[in-house]
Amino acid sequence: MKKISLRRLIALVLLALAGTPAFAAPALISNKNVAAEKIDAATLKSVFLGKKVAWDGAGRVTLAVLKGGPVADEFLKGAVDMNASAFNNHWRRLAMTGGGTAPKSFEKEEELRKFVAETPGAIGFVDSALADASVAVLTPAS
Amino acid sequence: MKSKLILIVCLATSLAGIIAPRAVASVSIGSKENVQIGGFFSQGWLYSNNNNYPTANKGGTWDFREMAVNVSTTVGSHLRVGGQAFAQSFGELGGDKVILDWAVADYNFTPAIGLRVGRVKYPKGLYGEALDLDVVRPYVFLPGAVYSPVMRDFNASFDGAMVYGTLNVGRSSVDYKLFYGDIPMNPEMGVAEFYNNAGLYTSAGTTALAMDSVQGGQLTWNTPISGLKVGYSYSEYTNLNTDGKFVAVPSLNLHTNIPSFTWNTISAEYSWGDWVFAGEWQRTEGMFGYSAPPVVTAPGSVIGWDGWYVSAARRLNAKFELGAYYGYLENRFASATTADAQKHQIDYALSLRYDINEHVLVKIEGHYLDGTYQTFNTTRIPNPPATRKDNNMLFAVKTTLSF
Repeated sequence: MKKISLRRLIALVLLALAGTPAFAAPALISNKNVAAEKIDAATLKSVFLGKKVAWDGAGRVTLAVLKGGPVADEFLKGAVDMNASAFNNHWRRLAMTGGGTAPKSFEKEEELRKFVAETPGAIGFVDSALADASVAVLTPAS
Repeated sequence: MKSKLILIVCLATSLAGIIAPRAVASVSIGSKENVQIGGFFSQGWLYSNNNNYPTANKGGTWDFREMAVNVSTTVGSHLRVGGQAFAQSFGELGGDKVILDWAVADYNFTPAIGLRVGRVKYPKGLYGEALDLDVVRPYVFLPGAVYSPVMRDFNASFDGAMVYGTLNVGRSSVDYKLFYGDIPMNPEMGVAEFYNNAGLYTSAGTTALAMDSVQGGQLTWNTPISGLKVGYSYSEYTNLNTDGKFVAVPSLNLHTNIPSFTWNTISAEYSWGDWVFAGEWQRTEGMFGYSAPPVVTAPGSVIGWDGWYVSAARRLNAKFELGAYYGYLENRFASATTADAQKHQIDYALSLRYDINEHVLVKIEGHYLDGTYQTFNTTRIPNPPATRKDNNMLFAVKTTLSF
């Protein structure tokens, strides 16, 4: 069996890492009119499960979510303790039975960010690398 | 003819969802500004080998479909209004007749308190408000021991009001719902078969059903254990009445009355990774009396049943989900002369769901049923004693387009 040199092995590992789609931690973003709201973990869960439908001073809550992917999975696990499939089922149940208005869902994070930036009361999540100055980046109080 | 036309439309719609998912997503279905439109079309094939259960499907039937379209919008920050039209064909039940499934005005004051009025989905057990939602589960039929498919049209919603909310309790929370109203009833509903099966009416069955009120509540504790919730539901019908031609003397009207009929349901669901485990136990009870003066006046006897099930479902990958359950249903007050097989129903079920794409899914499901409790013998669901068997195989294939 042909031996692989250490230098060649390192190069292969670096090449593999470079080809792996990486993502940073999900960032919670909102329209700038939501920035003054007090949001803790319980509030965040209540918002994303459709139990809190209005902000204290920023109008109606509008949810924006990604249809799937690692950013959605990681955010939803942390915020509402669900995977994307369970979260989607939760909202299908609400929307189809008169219990709530389903989130706007997006394939692409850039589209989600644009929607949040342009929609008062909107809140969502993207890869933190994509959270720019067009939106407010929120850090829920613990 | 009408039935075939609807069948063709359903199949064509599903096919359109399969071959052109992007086109479906691009039309104005979904959310437009603050108006949200959704719904589903499903078409299935239902086959039983021995008995007509749960409906007239012995030898196979295509009369197994559901359709719903809903529209909702928001007004201001706290108010939401919307409604859903629904139609189903379930053997001889439903007949594709469009009914108002729900229509509500919902004002959410805070997460702790909201008020929903109108035609409101009926909260009972884990899945009572989502009886038709194929898209949220692997099963074609929810376990019949707790969710009788024959009673779908009767148990789906009520006219009245519901107060609801969520209270945070430490690291957990409690969802509550309290409601009051009534359920509009008519002899075409599946629930009529419970009366028509009792042998009191002529073959035409009951001609009038009504109740004074339905009231109850539901508590769901979202426990500190990740993925675990437990719940309790209670509801009561008052003065559940029927009328019709008395089988012994057809010129006389026979009136039945149940002053109070209660439902108690205890539920638990545990989601763990790609698994969902669930179990529910339900007890019903009422005092059933009937009279056809001057010939007969029965003082009343206690009726009711116990039903429970355990289920497990696993999402295998993005396309497949597998589910199985065991259900047990028992007549609590069977007479001493009732045959053993007619006192109970045991249901072994195995389901496979395949998601063709985001909008279209297909399910196949098999059941082995032991016992014939709640296997009716009526004009619409005939099971003459001479041909009724103590066990039955039930097979269902169903495709659903949701949007």
